[in-house]
Amino acid sequence: MNKTSHVDIVVLGAGPGGYASAFRAADLGKKVVLIDRDAELGGVCLNRGCIPSKALLHISKVIEEASALSKMGVTFNEPSIDLEVVRKHKNRIVKQLNGGIAKMAQARKVETKQGLATFLSNKELSVKTENQTEVITFNKCIIATGSSSLMIPGFPKNHPSILTSKTALDLIDIPKNLLVIGGGVIGLELGQVYAALGSSVSIVEFLPNLVPGADPDIIKPLERKLKKQFESIMLSSKVIKVEPQQGNNLEVTIENDKGVKKNLYNKVLVAVGRKPNTNLLNLDATEIKVDDAGFIEVDVYQRTSVKNIFAIGDIAGNPMLAHKATHEGKVAAEVASGHPAAMDSRAIPSVIYTDPEVAWAGLTEIEAKKREIPYEKGEFPWAASGRAIAVGANQGKTKILFDPNTKQTLGVGIVGPSAGDIISEGVLAIEMGADASDIGLTVHPHPTLGETFGLAAEAYEGTITDLYVSKK
Amino acid sequence: MIKDLTLPDLGEGIDGAEVSEITVSVGDRVTAEDTVLVLESDKASMEIPAEATGEIQKILVSVGDLIKTGQKLLTIDSVDSKTKEKETPLKIEKPRETKEEKKKKEKEPLELETLKTGSTENVFASPGVRRLARELNINLQIIKGTGVKGRITKDDLNGYIKLKMMMVSAGPSQSQPDIDFSQWGETEVQKLTKIQKITGQRLQRAWQNIPHVTQFDEADITSLDSFRKKLKKKAERKGIKVTFLPFLIKAITKTLKEFPVFNSSLDSSGQNLVLKNYINIGVAVDTSAGLIVPVIKEADNKSIIELSEELTDLSARARKKRLKPKELMGGTFTISSLGGIGGRFFTPIVNPPEVAILGVSRSFLDNMSVLKLPFSLSYDHRVIDGAAAASFTTKLSEILFSTAFFEDKEYE
Repeated sequence: MNKTSHVDIVVLGAGPGGYASAFRAADLGKKVVLIDRDAELGGVCLNRGCIPSKALLHISKVIEEASALSKMGVTFNEPSIDLEVVRKHKNRIVKQLNGGIAKMAQARKVETKQGLATFLSNKELSVKTENQTEVITFNKCIIATGSSSLMIPGFPKNHPSILTSKTALDLIDIPKNLLVIGGGVIGLELGQVYAALGSSVSIVEFLPNLVPGADPDIIKPLERKLKKQFESIMLSSKVIKVEPQQGNNLEVTIENDKGVKKNLYNKVLVAVGRKPNTNLLNLDATEIKVDDAGFIEVDVYQRTSVKNIFAIGDIAGNPMLAHKATHEGKVAAEVASGHPAAMDSRAIPSVIYTDPEVAWAGLTEIEAKKREIPYEKGEFPWAASGRAIAVGANQGKTKILFDPNTKQTLGVGIVGPSAGDIISEGVLAIEMGADASDIGLTVHPHPTLGETFGLAAEAYEGTITDLYVSKK
Repeated sequence: MIKDLTLPDLGEGIDGAEVSEITVSVGDRVTAEDTVLVLESDKASMEIPAEATGEIQKILVSVGDLIKTGQKLLTIDSVDSKTKEKETPLKIEKPRETKEEKKKKEKEPLELETLKTGSTENVFASPGVRRLARELNINLQIIKGTGVKGRITKDDLNGYIKLKMMMVSAGPSQSQPDIDFSQWGETEVQKLTKIQKITGQRLQRAWQNIPHVTQFDEADITSLDSFRKKLKKKAERKGIKVTFLPFLIKAITKTLKEFPVFNSSLDSSGQNLVLKNYINIGVAVDTSAGLIVPVIKEADNKSIIELSEELTDLSARARKKRLKPKELMGGTFTISSLGGIGGRFFTPIVNPPEVAILGVSRSFLDNMSVLKLPFSLSYDHRVIDGAAAASFTTKLSEILFSTAFFEDKEYE
């Protein structure tokens, strides 16, 4: 017989957004059940996304840096890679973090359940676990079931040589030739990992730019680097066919304005985006509204059209980023617990963890031009930074967009090592409404890459002495 | 060009007022003199003009908001710029919400009624302050930041709450029991006006805090009345209406000069009496919205004709809600006249921080054919003793008895 139980707050999905909401709600005194279809907590981000990819990117970065040392008089032998050990190292990191989350859940008395949850109504869920199906009724529900990799229709299904971000991170082997379809964040990061481990990597992107959302000037230095590391970068190009060949190889037909080309690859990584996991929830049983792109519609309190059901993270809209999910998750937990929270963040930073890193937050120049938002900018080229030159990062750049009237920070774009860390100061500046003089007058430690943020503001203010800016 | 409309200085002491009505909506065209907002402060209701001609671009306050001097109220896209940038893109007007829709929205279930603090977009406040504002249910759009460069700080929120609490604490301390009157017959609910509510709170406070004593007396105004009739005829040619009230005001100013304690206030410590060397007489005016007390400044220096003109103007504007806050402040003594209506004596309530009030009823002919004016003097017994009050009313009667004092002053 089916078991029925009632909970105060049920959270679906134990990714960074889901466990944040569950823990926050528990800390606010609610009885919480956290359900995930996987046995391991942490979701895509921890198990097959951000964290394992960063473990591998670290390795590829060190390989790259070691080889760059030859220019500085230190030469290593060609690295020998024991894939088995690399895999184990990555898995150990993931496992350590999994365990941490499980312990925190236990300490907070958050009940965790492995099972597939589907809605029966606005107030009931059916949860199919390994041995049984149970019905859970709830006062509040927070949906945090995330997204999954988009597959291109017509591609061979379940072919061992067609990878997604998930299977690419499993690191089964290092293909000799790898084609990455999609020049977005995931494609570039994983492409760089495989290139460093020894693959000959090609990238094909449908649009004329890599990472279309970011400003071209901060993508350029990365693109220059990738051109050296990759076999080829094909922009404005479309994959029209993928055909399995002997020995698990794939023949890929690529079309662009120069014509149609066929190439043979050992593996193909599909990284053309992600889709919200909306269709797994049986939302038809509820009155939750879903938009055309498949995202659940929410308000600033993260409430869906059914007011006791919340949605957060990837399933609730772009950008699909863990740190956005975490913040939304906390808002949902607080509102569900009767607190007056709301999601009113002014900027959500985006980072590409490649070498060099690229990070941006708030207004971009592309967007400003599109929406006719007036702005002025302060830029600091890292070629003028002693620290950047010393670590071989003179391709980097820090730029800040300011409001021409208030001089407040509207947006920040950075390219260079540690850009993803430096951007935090930019996000804080946007949230605090810091203006150019606030940033320029803040003493930044020298010599650091972070000081380029202060220098960009000084360049805008005309108070910089580390550059010569001719008077207008 | 986009012009901001900010709350002008409302005059001494008033630094906050409540928005009682917004008469325009986004997209409306206004001319400089058009009223865009109606505010209510302690007793005044005032209309705020647009100050510029153009199109309402943004409204930053909502009804019920407590706003401060210098605060941005709305933005107007003024005309001169409109002509320049003629090719502005098509404007999509949002349909205005009907009252019902609005009500429905506000009545949303779940514990979220508190979550109506408005957009924090374009507000110069840190995330922590934005969160606190949500917790305290404060609309940041209406807060004027006092931090560096106008940043809204936590202190600004605290200050706003203090101001709000001061207004609330003036409310009645004991609530009425909730009685269902309809069980005995049909009833109808009428909302108190803002002025009625505030007056009620003030009267209750005055009644509770001031030990009241009322002294009754009558004055023989037979000769003064015929004098008034003569003057009235003369003045009518100039279009001025002379009632009995200006005579009473003049007589009071003279009496106050002889009994300065009636023209004083207790200071906040209750230890000192503040005697005022100026005489400003408040006159209670009954309006459809409630009782309003405009103040005639330096009434002792004004002639009967001047007083008549000023009274006509003030009471007319009081009824139209067109008084400026300044005109409602600084009174030193109040007269409440029911002379036009009837009754003999009543016990008026002192209008703090004043210490005495004169209530005047309808004059009548007694059986000796003497025209008598019945009046009542209520006073704060902490400041004034009974003997002084009796002397005061006696003196007032004396002044009203003869025309000498008035003839002297009246060359006009």
